[in-house]
Amino acid sequence: MIQIKDLNFAYPGQQALFKSLSVHLEAGSITGLLGKNGAGKTSLLKLLIGLLHPQSGNVSVQGQKPMNRNVSFLENVFFVPEEFYFPAISITEYQKANTPFYPNFDHEMMERILVDFELQKENNLQRLSFGQKKKFLIAFSLATRCPLLVLDEPTNGLDIPSKSLFRKILAGSIDTNQLVIISTHQVKDVENLIDKIIILDKGRVIFQENIADISQKVSFISGTSADLPGAIYSEQIPGGYRIIASDRHTETEVDIELLFNAITNGKKIV
Amino acid sequence: MQKGNLFSANRFILLIKHSLIVNKKLIGISVAGVTGTLFIALFFFQSVFSFQNWTNLSTTIFFLFCYVSLGGMYTSQSFPAFRSKGKSLGYLMLPASSFEKFIYEFLVRIVALILLFPILFWIVANAEGSIIHHYIPKLVSYRFSFSQGIPEFISKWKMSGWDVSTVVQVCLFVYFSTFTGACHFSKSPRIKTLFTLSVIIAGYTLFTYLLFKGLNLKDFRNPDNEILFIKSKEGIKAALSIGWMIVNLTLLSIAWFRFKEKEV
Repeated sequence: MIQIKDLNFAYPGQQALFKSLSVHLEAGSITGLLGKNGAGKTSLLKLLIGLLHPQSGNVSVQGQKPMNRNVSFLENVFFVPEEFYFPAISITEYQKANTPFYPNFDHEMMERILVDFELQKENNLQRLSFGQKKKFLIAFSLATRCPLLVLDEPTNGLDIPSKSLFRKILAGSIDTNQLVIISTHQVKDVENLIDKIIILDKGRVIFQENIADISQKVSFISGTSADLPGAIYSEQIPGGYRIIASDRHTETEVDIELLFNAITNGKKIV
Repeated sequence: MQKGNLFSANRFILLIKHSLIVNKKLIGISVAGVTGTLFIALFFFQSVFSFQNWTNLSTTIFFLFCYVSLGGMYTSQSFPAFRSKGKSLGYLMLPASSFEKFIYEFLVRIVALILLFPILFWIVANAEGSIIHHYIPKLVSYRFSFSQGIPEFISKWKMSGWDVSTVVQVCLFVYFSTFTGACHFSKSPRIKTLFTLSVIIAGYTLFTYLLFKGLNLKDFRNPDNEILFIKSKEGIKAALSIGWMIVNLTLLSIAWFRFKEKEV
């Protein structure tokens, strides 16, 4: 679905952010785009949806060039930005104004998610809290059933129960024809949700792997000592250590935060 | 959904509906505000003219002043989505083509203004006139008519066809420059547009002055009148009017290219 090849990009008057970046993503997955602040996550997302133009290289989404910003492209992509604006109208009116632009909009799904998020349709969007607005935007994005959903820091502003609800709703709302890209620096928030990880650092993809493959290749274990045989990376936690170890022959749940820290500290994991 | 990536009539109608739903309150408040302002302003000026001295021509002059000034203020509010990052993202990701969005903005901000403001003014002027006449009968000229007022205005200043054309172009210049400024500048577009225009005009005036002085054009006498293609006063007016028109079209094309650039 997404093919990025030899992408070069720099903001005017600044040094190159991306140099020969290549990424390939297929539909049917929830991909976590992780990275520290300023790693280039949002810029990469904007390149994917045509809000930034590459200096050179090729960006293709569903066979279309995002930079052309064709309507046939825009109606198949939904972007949930970190900063957004809603007019002073009700949820019902917002839906009436915007849903006709999305050919696959699923009204039933929208109703369902609104109930899950405890949002009333007569609520005025401007009077909602930031977290409620975000929940509405997430609900709307899922109901568009766009093949590509791009969520930039979707859990920012959500309270703890809402974060967990977000994970549950997202996991239950997408199908195999869709690709969801979640960009976040709060790696804990996307645990048990994403099935592929891309880690960006200083404009480079430093890690790109399926969660299933990671859990087969390394184990994430707790121990009282960091000096275990096969230990690749460890972090002290209260009462012991969290360790990434190779050749354990046991499939464990991937600790994304630990993995992220290991990768960004230069450890070779898989 | 409709195909056609450049323009689709159905999608354009969706864009209009979208805007009407989102802005209906604002439209209502704005129309009410302008109506109230015109009503009060008309009453104020009529009282300044002691009511009996107020004529159809006075209303026409007041109309032209409002047409340009309020119109300019309205067009300077064009492209409201560019005023903040959050609004811009939502606007740019809305599945409609750039051409449709630009044409929509042009229609709503300029064409609608040109066509609807005179109608609103006519309604308010006649309603206000009738009400005030009811209570203050010395206001005798209380029925306003464009078909009477505009020809009166033209004959009062002995305007030729090219004069009228220049006035129209200057009026359009106010609209187009503020429209372009609103597209170019994200923050405080009105002030920045005014400042930019002032700098351009001051720069051009200074350049002309220096050229005039430097080449000592004061004492210049054209030895052969035939080399000038403008040979009469009417010719100068025609050139001026056509010049304004070119400037206006240039401004409009700048607005379009800036709009396209805003997408990245």
